[in-house]
Amino acid sequence: MMLGIMLLLVLCISVGTRLFSNYLPSMWSVFNWESVVSFLLITVFTTIVAAGSVADEFTAGTIKLLLIRPWSRSKILLSKYVAVILFALLQTVVLYLFLLAMNALLFGYDSSAASDTIAPLYKGTAAVYFIQYFFYEFISLIVTATMAFMISAVFRSGGLAIGLSLFLILVVNSFVGLFAILNYAWVDYLLFIHLNLVQYLNGTPLREGMTLGFSLAVLGVYYVVFVALTWFVFNKRDVAA
Amino acid sequence: MLSFEDAVGYNVNYVISEGGCFISQPIVQLQNVTKRIGKKTIINDLSLDLPVGEVFGFLGPNGAGKTTTIRMMVGLMSLTGGEIKIDGYSITKQYQKAIRNVGAIVENPEMYKYLSGYQNLIHFARMIPDISDERIEEVVKLVGLGSRIHDKVRTYSLGMRQRLGVAQAILHRPKLLILDEPTNGLDPAGIRELRDYLRQLAKDEGISIFVSSHLLAEMELMCDRVAIIQNGKLIDVRGIKQQGDDGAESRRFVFEVGNVVEAITVAAQLGQKAEADGQSAIAIEADRELVAKLNAAFVEAGVSVYGIRAQGKSLEDQFLEMTGGEQIV
Repeated sequence: MMLGIMLLLVLCISVGTRLFSNYLPSMWSVFNWESVVSFLLITVFTTIVAAGSVADEFTAGTIKLLLIRPWSRSKILLSKYVAVILFALLQTVVLYLFLLAMNALLFGYDSSAASDTIAPLYKGTAAVYFIQYFFYEFISLIVTATMAFMISAVFRSGGLAIGLSLFLILVVNSFVGLFAILNYAWVDYLLFIHLNLVQYLNGTPLREGMTLGFSLAVLGVYYVVFVALTWFVFNKRDVAA
Repeated sequence: MLSFEDAVGYNVNYVISEGGCFISQPIVQLQNVTKRIGKKTIINDLSLDLPVGEVFGFLGPNGAGKTTTIRMMVGLMSLTGGEIKIDGYSITKQYQKAIRNVGAIVENPEMYKYLSGYQNLIHFARMIPDISDERIEEVVKLVGLGSRIHDKVRTYSLGMRQRLGVAQAILHRPKLLILDEPTNGLDPAGIRELRDYLRQLAKDEGISIFVSSHLLAEMELMCDRVAIIQNGKLIDVRGIKQQGDDGAESRRFVFEVGNVVEAITVAAQLGQKAEADGQSAIAIEADRELVAKLNAAFVEAGVSVYGIRAQGKSLEDQFLEMTGGEQIV
């Protein structure tokens, strides 16, 4: 259903642009800004699903029925996590294919280089640019989802998990620009500075001197901490739901 | 109850039949189980053996530690000390083997409300190998949910949820069924149904059943044996004799009479010590024959007898005696 909402939205944008625009834009410029909007939506949807996945079982009490099956707690947690990741992956892949097919159909396929339309500094075709774009966004998406999943497993309350995760993603993310201009060393290690990997595609990083490798390393460390904490808490704590 | 663990070793659970009497390794062994949360001791050195094939009651006032014990038995809570073995497997060290033999409802029968009862069962069946569709149908029939099984759980009454909970718990043919306060929130008809149904399960499928409750009268009707705990400590384990006309045994009888003083005198003439029980009744220890004799004597002496009834000492009385009548809800 969430996927349906998103696809309907981008369909409206494309059809609207096609009908009401005075000139015919390149399919890639429509593609570009639809991706920006859609990824915000995908992130929100995935966060909701991830935040609810463990916490809702606790709220409803069904976690007890899951845990008294002949499976280890780690495996039950893993299956929940895999479901979240698959949800994120499905949305990303479907979105890419849908945007590609729909915009090519409406605006005509454009095989020009990305630098002509959307990313002046990028070398390569626009189609490849967007594959890379989606891949980077997907990495950020996984880290965000893992964070929401951790909050879900640690706090065990669906409302709190969704609220806190969305707050971190929407509010804190919009202050990232503000943080980025602060001249402190620790700002380099903030998670939110690194969630926008697409900045490296256009060649203008948020903070001076940041590289893709460094961002990936920071994200990697956060990811490992999230997973370890989730796993540890879920395995050790008593279930009193 | 003999423990064969020493003689035959671990994990052996064959049943030896001796003149209709079944002897085997206990299905559950709690050994010096202790649970502390912070500084508070919830369960204190609890040891208990559950015999195979019985309906075993776990009785105690609210807050005595019943649910905590059950949570530890199914591995939802860790043990501070001691050991729990189910069918010979340790719940802490061999969790998956131990839990394989257990079906449980812990507190309320919570299911996925947005799924139908049938979808819920399929979901749980998938988590255990080799449960066929036929088995699901069989269980649905067994708990009597009928065609309502395909409705959303949201629309179920508490009684139906309880049934679905039981269905979920017996899906994989467990040797042990653990039910935490199963009669909570059920109406009298529902309670009666559940009771009959559990007894039938124990009898027909040979499942051992462990039921916790604070409802004394209920336990008395449902169980073969009852353990009583208070403040996390085991107070007593006792068998419950099934109701029957045991004429030979001496019981306490209450005579409703017209004249209490005279009646006591008449009883004393027969060599029986009677005591007043309220304004218009006397109580006396007697067996069947003696009751008839006493009655005849009363009538002869001109004492009107309005009623005679046997006063079985109920579990409630025993329970109150043991727990000192305090903190019982």
